[in-house]
Amino acid sequence: MIWLFNSAARRIALVAFVAYALTILLLGFAVYGATHAAFSRQIDLNVEQATSALLAEYRDDGLAGLSRTIALRKAPGPISLGIALFGPDGRQLAGDLATTAPAPGWQHITFLDPLEGQDHARAKVTSLPGGYRLVVANDLIDLEAIDRAIFGIFAAVMGVLLAMGVGGAVILARYLRGKLDMIEDTASAIVAGDLARRAAIGRHNDEFDRVARSLNTMLDQIASLIANLRQISADLAHDLRTPLAALRNHLERMEQGARQPGEVEIALRKTDDVLALFDAILRISEVEAGSLRRAFAPVDLSGLLGELSETLGLLAEDDGRTLEARWQPGLCVHGDRQLLAQVIINLVENALRHTPHGAAIHVSVLAEGEQVILQIRDNGPGIPEGDRDRVLRRFVRLETSRSTPGHGLGLSLVSAIAHAHDAGLALGDAGPGLIVTLRFARKARP
Amino acid sequence: MAANPLVSLTLMRILLAEDDPDMRQFVEGALGELDHAVVSTTNGTEALRLALGAGWDMVILDRMLPDLDGLDVLKGLRGQGHTIPVLMLTALGQIEDRVSGLDAGADDYLVKPFAMSELVARINALTRRLGSVEPGTSLAFGGITLDLRSRQVHRDGRSIVLQPREFRLLEELVREAGAFLTRKMLLERVWDFHFDPQTKIVETHMSRLRSKLNEGFASDAIETARGMGYRIAAP
Repeated sequence: MIWLFNSAARRIALVAFVAYALTILLLGFAVYGATHAAFSRQIDLNVEQATSALLAEYRDDGLAGLSRTIALRKAPGPISLGIALFGPDGRQLAGDLATTAPAPGWQHITFLDPLEGQDHARAKVTSLPGGYRLVVANDLIDLEAIDRAIFGIFAAVMGVLLAMGVGGAVILARYLRGKLDMIEDTASAIVAGDLARRAAIGRHNDEFDRVARSLNTMLDQIASLIANLRQISADLAHDLRTPLAALRNHLERMEQGARQPGEVEIALRKTDDVLALFDAILRISEVEAGSLRRAFAPVDLSGLLGELSETLGLLAEDDGRTLEARWQPGLCVHGDRQLLAQVIINLVENALRHTPHGAAIHVSVLAEGEQVILQIRDNGPGIPEGDRDRVLRRFVRLETSRSTPGHGLGLSLVSAIAHAHDAGLALGDAGPGLIVTLRFARKARP
Repeated sequence: MAANPLVSLTLMRILLAEDDPDMRQFVEGALGELDHAVVSTTNGTEALRLALGAGWDMVILDRMLPDLDGLDVLKGLRGQGHTIPVLMLTALGQIEDRVSGLDAGADDYLVKPFAMSELVARINALTRRLGSVEPGTSLAFGGITLDLRSRQVHRDGRSIVLQPREFRLLEELVREAGAFLTRKMLLERVWDFHFDPQTKIVETHMSRLRSKLNEGFASDAIETARGMGYRIAAP
């Protein structure tokens, strides 16, 4: 029983098999019943017709005529129709039916067949005036033979079909198990540490193939996340080591007595750098977790850029760059004002950091169909096409910008925020320079 | 040398509800150094019971407390009509908590972990907010006057033209005259940024404001203290 119940495949096969067997059984009974009933009706009809003919004889010629007719009908050999006339004393006056006088009406009688011995028959017994009885009987040998034949055929067919059913159930169960075992084996192998293992996909594109394909896609995704996580841990350790080592050296020098004014301040600033790095990492995690989306509301992106433009302009000016902000009024998106402000600031900061002195930065919020386009463009060196996807990842800093400050998290945060807003983020070539485009779905003004 | 900027002017009775022992010790230590009297509790029910009693100048409430949430303590307190200043402490990564905390009637919030100077600045600001309920149309401190309606600024009678953000910065400094405002507080109040954009926007605006205020004067109108923030210099 455990063999049966610890396998859904076997249970499914068994249920299918039982349903199949019951259907065949039902069909057998139906055929048997219908045939049996049709033949019984035919027998009754024969008996009825013979009785009517004999009674007509009796009406025309009386008992004597009837007896004569019965005698004339008598034929040698096994016959299906037997006739007998019994007197009031129960004695057989005419006929060939070796039986005693039955009661009037339809009867099931037993008679002695001269060739076959004891036999069963269906009989109609009619009472005649004066206590005489006419018996017309049709033996049931044909009906029994037909019943036996039908039963035999069905038994044979049933046997074959049941064998096929059992075989089919076993094959189905084995097939289902085989398909599922393959997926289970893959999962077990992964659990055991073989992360590169994938489920084999058949060529039918059936349910199992689709499950296997989904499983493989999921595994690929997980593998890439794990690889990403490993990379991040390594980068994080590296990025933290550098400022902490510098801080340690600094404190060591202070301890050795080479104390100069502002030393503590430098140490504090280095600590703040490390803390800022952590804040940035946590901030990205928070945005990526997606729970902030619940607080999303319509935000006037044009208004936001308008508010920020003074501040951004001053930042650029202090850095010896120029910044021009341009916006079409009243363009709203669904989002978080703080996060959107951060996106604009980060992208402008990024442009300030990676452009030479005197560079021009353009920030714009414009409508394009049903979209609101936020664009930050500079005329600096830009980012080579092959690196544009890479810079959105955490801690990625291009060799050319190793000397500039930053942790390589600014664009990752922009990417995370864009994703949380379902906004498309594209880095392009401004020829020369970098052009960053965010495409938001436009919302009606609140 | 100026007086220790950490020492506030008024001694207060502060109720602290915080279940994390490290954080509690840290806050108790900071408040003790300022000579404030601190009573601590570790659970929400107790916090609400104590807070409803009279005599507190301020409540510092952790957002997550055992048995009764910090938010529920705050709602209970405000529901009974208590207007006592409440500073909420929230864990990092719970920006939604900040919004719900302020909605429930918190006067300020601080995201953990925070620097001691940040906590002290917030407490001092909350204390002062108690005293200055008058909205007023002008502000003045140390020879600097601001007309909030016409947006005109004078230092010792000399007119100074400021950009809108510079004006807002100066307004906050003069409003809180005598106390330090941290970078974070200025970001929140002037830019409405409840995050650190990790950029020099405060420094940039402050240096411009400072040079405009100081032009033609011998003394620096704005005092900067590393880690502490900015304050308007005493006359």
